[in-house]
Amino acid sequence: MADVPFQPDTRGEFSYPENHKFDAGYGLTEETIDYICDAKGEPDWLRRFRKDALKKFHELPMPYHWAPEGIRDVDFDNIRYYLSHGVPPRKSWDDVPDDVKRTFERLGVPEQERAFLAGVDAQYDSETAYNNMREELSKQGVIFVNSTEGLKEHEDVFRPWFGKVIPVGDNKFSALNHAAFSGGSFIYVPKGVKLKQPLQAYFRINSESMGQFERTLIIADEGAELMYMEGCTAPKFDSATLHSGVVELVALKGAKIQYVTVQNWATNVYNLVIQRGLAMEDAEIRWIDCNLGSKLTMKYPAVVLQGRRARGEVVSISLARDGQDQDTGARMIHAAPETTSNIVAKSISIGKGRASYRGEVNVLKGTPGCRNNTECDALLINADSRTDTYPAITVNGNASAVQHEASVSQVDEEMLFYMQQRGLTRAQAMSLAVNGFINDLVNEFPMEYSVELRRLIDLEMEDSIG
Amino acid sequence: MHAAHHSTPQLPDRLCEDWRFGAPHKHAAALAQMMRGCTRRGTITVEGADDAPGGWSVHGVRSIGSDALLALHQAAEGVGLYLQHDYAEPITITCETDGVYTPAVYIVARAGVHAHIIERHICRGEHSAMVCARRIVAEEGAQISVELQEEGCGTSRVLNITDITARGACVRHLTTHANHEWAREETTAEALGNAADIQLFSANRLEDSQMLDQHTRQLHSNRGCASNLLYKNVLDGRATAVFAGNIYVAPGAHDTDAYQSNRNMLLSENATMHSLPGLEILADRVRCSHGSASAPMDAEQLFYLLSRGIPRHQAQLLVAEGFLNDVHTRFQAE
Repeated sequence: MADVPFQPDTRGEFSYPENHKFDAGYGLTEETIDYICDAKGEPDWLRRFRKDALKKFHELPMPYHWAPEGIRDVDFDNIRYYLSHGVPPRKSWDDVPDDVKRTFERLGVPEQERAFLAGVDAQYDSETAYNNMREELSKQGVIFVNSTEGLKEHEDVFRPWFGKVIPVGDNKFSALNHAAFSGGSFIYVPKGVKLKQPLQAYFRINSESMGQFERTLIIADEGAELMYMEGCTAPKFDSATLHSGVVELVALKGAKIQYVTVQNWATNVYNLVIQRGLAMEDAEIRWIDCNLGSKLTMKYPAVVLQGRRARGEVVSISLARDGQDQDTGARMIHAAPETTSNIVAKSISIGKGRASYRGEVNVLKGTPGCRNNTECDALLINADSRTDTYPAITVNGNASAVQHEASVSQVDEEMLFYMQQRGLTRAQAMSLAVNGFINDLVNEFPMEYSVELRRLIDLEMEDSIG
Repeated sequence: MHAAHHSTPQLPDRLCEDWRFGAPHKHAAALAQMMRGCTRRGTITVEGADDAPGGWSVHGVRSIGSDALLALHQAAEGVGLYLQHDYAEPITITCETDGVYTPAVYIVARAGVHAHIIERHICRGEHSAMVCARRIVAEEGAQISVELQEEGCGTSRVLNITDITARGACVRHLTTHANHEWAREETTAEALGNAADIQLFSANRLEDSQMLDQHTRQLHSNRGCASNLLYKNVLDGRATAVFAGNIYVAPGAHDTDAYQSNRNMLLSENATMHSLPGLEILADRVRCSHGSASAPMDAEQLFYLLSRGIPRHQAQLLVAEGFLNDVHTRFQAE
C-alpha cells in the first residue's frame, strides 16, 4: 500500500538549548545519587533508601526471558540521570523560565489549564517547572505537589505509602526508579472529596540522553474521587532517551481513581513504565491508556483488587508505526472475594510496526465470586505489520469466572472500496475505518482528549493525501 | 569446548517461558533423573497395518521447551507406519510399560491416504513413566485422524512430544489423559502447502492432585492454510492444569485461518487452571482469534438435572461428561 495514511504527530518534536544548573552526568553510581540528594536537599533516610535501591538494581536481572528483543539495546551507562534548572516549581506561568514556558506554550498546556483543568504539574527533564491548583481545592484539603515537595512537606501522608504498592525489589526498573526518581506528582484527596475537573501532569524531556524517572503517588481517601491525566512528549535526538516512571495509586474504601495517559514520546524513547493501583473495599481504579509514540513501550497497568467488591478496569489503545514496538497490556490481581475487572485493548499496527498485548489475570485462592472479562482486538494495516497476544490467566477455585477473547483482523477491502466509490480517497477511507475500530474506546477518554485523538488521526490522514 | 557446552540443551529452569507454571525444577528434573537412572522397559505393538522395522527416528522432532529431555530420550524402540493406501479399519498402536519407557512413533500418510489411528499409552506400574516422541507427516490430499489415549495408574508420569506436519493434507488429532500424576504434552503442528487443515483436540478430566501441562504451537508457514484447536478440561480435587497455546503466522502466510479455544470447568475450590493462549501474527488478510474461559459448572444445567431427581454428585458427572463429550463429537465429525 503506497498511500500509508499515518504520519507521526511531530508537534512535540522541537527542543530548546540546554540551560541546566544541575547535571548529574552520564551513568548511575553512588556518586550520582549523592549529587541528586544534594541538589534536591533530601534527608538522610532517603539517601540511604536510594543507595539500597541502587544495589537492588544491580542485583536484579533484566527480564530477557520474556521481554521484547528491543530491551537489549537499553544502555544504562549512556543515560543522564538528573538535569534541572535549579529553580523551585512556580505557581504562575509568568515566573517559569522562558525556554521552559515557551515549550509548554507550544504544547498548549497553559491554554488547557484555563479551559478545563483543576490543576497542572508540568515537569521539564528531572524537575517540576510549574505546579498550580485551583484555590478552592487546597481549602478542601486536596494536596497536589511534585514528589520532592510531597516527601518534604507531607511526609506523614506520603511516606507510609511510598513504595508500598510497587516495592523496590519488584523488578529491575522499579529498583532503578527508586534509586533515581525525581519529579512526578503526589496527590492526596481527603475523605469524601470528589474532584469535578481533572488534574493534569505534563512530562517533557528536552535534553539529549535524558532519563526521566518520575514518581507518582495518588491517594484517594475513603469515598474520594478524582481523574488524573498525564501527557508525555520529547524531541527526537540522535541518542536514545529513557523514561522509566513508577506510578502508584491507592484507592481506599469506596474511592474512585481514573488515570488517563496519552503518551506521544519521540520514536527513540524507551518507555518502560510501571503502573499499579491498590483498590480497597468497594473502590474502583480505571487506567485509560493511549500509546502513540516511543521506540519501545513496555507498560502493563495493574490493579490489585485488595478489598471485597473492588473493581478494576484497563482501557488501552496503542498504535505502532515503522520501528515502533508497543508492548502493552494489563494485569488484574483478584486478591479479595467478589472483585471484578474488565480489560479492553485495541491495537493498530502500521508498516513494520509491532503491537503486542501482554496480560495477566490472577484469581487467587479463597476469593470466590470474582469476574474478569478481557477483550483484545488487533488491526493490521500493512502486509508486514505484526501483532502478538500473550495473556496468562490463572483461576483458583470453582466460584470465579474468567473469560478472554482476542481477534486479529484487517481493514475490510470491501469497506474501503465502498467508501472510495463514494468519493473518499483511500487515505480518508482508511482513516474512517480506523476511527471506527477504536471509536468505542476513544469515547472513554475525557472529552478534550477524545476530540484531540480523533483530530490527530484525521490530521495525519490529510497530510498524506496526494 | 565452549561451543559444545552451548549445543547441549539445558534442562528447563524457572526462567524458561515454555515451562511457565509447569514447575520445571520439580517435574523436568524428576523425569530427567528417571530417564538417566533406569533401563528402559516396555512394549510397543501395532495392529491393522504393517510396521516398517527401524523406520522411525526422533531426530529433528520439535519440542516446546524440552530439548534436554528429548536428548535423553534415545529411543531404542518404536513404530514406523508408512501408509500407502486407505485403511477402512482403525489402526491401533499400543505402548505399555511398568517401568520407564521411551518409545518413538513415526506415522507417514502418503498422498491421498485416508486412515484412522488409535494410539494407546498405558502405564501400569507404580511410579512408571513414559516419554514418547511422535512424528506425524501427512502428504498432499491425505486425511488422517489420530487419537492418543493416555492411561495411567495414579502415580505415573508421561511426556508426549508430538510434531505434526500437514502438507496440503488434513490432520485431526485428539488427546485424552486419565489417571496420571503428572502429564505434559508438547504438540507442534505445522500447516504447509496447499490448503492444509489441522484440527487439534483434547478433553481431560483431572482429580486428586493430578497435573496436566499442555503446550501447543500452530505454525502457519504457507498461505491459505487453516488450523483449529479446542482443548477442554474438567478440574476437580486439587488438580492443576496448564494450557499454553500459540498460533504463529509467518511473514507471507497470508489468508490464514487459525483459531484456538481453551475451555475449563472448575469443580473444586482447590483446583487451579493456568491458561496462556497466544497469537503471533506477521502476515496479512488473516482471520485469527483465540478464546479462553475458566468457570464453575453452569448452575442452571445442574439445577435442571437436580429438579429431575438426579442426585447432585451424579448430576455433576453428567454435566462434566457432556462438557467433554462435545470435543469427541467434533473430533469425529468429518
